[in-house]
Amino acid sequence: MILVRAIVRPEKCDEVLAALMYAGFPAVTKMDVYGRGKQRGIRVGEVTYDELPKVLLLAVIKEDDKEFVVETIMKAARTGNKGAFGDGKIFISPVDEVYTISSGSKEEGEPARPAASAAIS
Amino acid sequence: MKEVLAVIRMNMMNETKQALADAGISSFTARKVMGRGQGKVDYRLLRGAEEGHEEAINQLGPGPKLIPKRLVSVVVPDDTVQKVVRTIIEVNRTNHPGDGKVFVLPVTESVRVRTGERNDTALSESPI
Repeated sequence: MILVRAIVRPEKCDEVLAALMYAGFPAVTKMDVYGRGKQRGIRVGEVTYDELPKVLLLAVIKEDDKEFVVETIMKAARTGNKGAFGDGKIFISPVDEVYTISSGSKEEGEPARPAASAAIS
Repeated sequence: MKEVLAVIRMNMMNETKQALADAGISSFTARKVMGRGQGKVDYRLLRGAEEGHEEAINQLGPGPKLIPKRLVSVVVPDDTVQKVVRTIIEVNRTNHPGDGKVFVLPVTESVRVRTGERNDTALSESPI
């Protein structure tokens, strides 16, 4: 299993959530965050905004679904045809164990392969 | 070191805090998040609603799509992971869907800001 962290525009969040739902990945956690990227925020005249509101989405998925989920999020989160600065980032990290509290059982999924996680970093 | 990420019910926060403290884990971070789980999603219903069938839309209901939850993050040495996971599951379990999930993620390095100590020493209890 792997954890996908996607930082997206707040106004694109609903679209990403809908896209993930239709793609068959309903389980997502969402939180509001503030941050800046490589462009050092936005400069409007004299004023620089370096804490831009974004939405952070967390989803734990099977390793085999990685490319598909990343593609789905990217397609939904992009603005315009080519995308624009500020559309966000997607980070992927390995997850060792997954438990469901209501049943107390450990989810049996293929553990993240070391070779794959090395390729990500 | 491992990071234990637990998504739990809002009203279970106090019990979880108490249980973790009793188990000897005093440090953790929590925040309010919104989320949805596997749920009981009927994709035919969703498709029907998307295509504009009245019955399907009525069955989906007006309720909010995301449910408020608490995200608890605890970073612990490898040998304490099972204790933390077991404590969280024991306290939060009501045998109903929506109790939440627990994820265990690897952490490669941790630093205590005050002293610059690294890794396991940064996680251990230290005199104030």
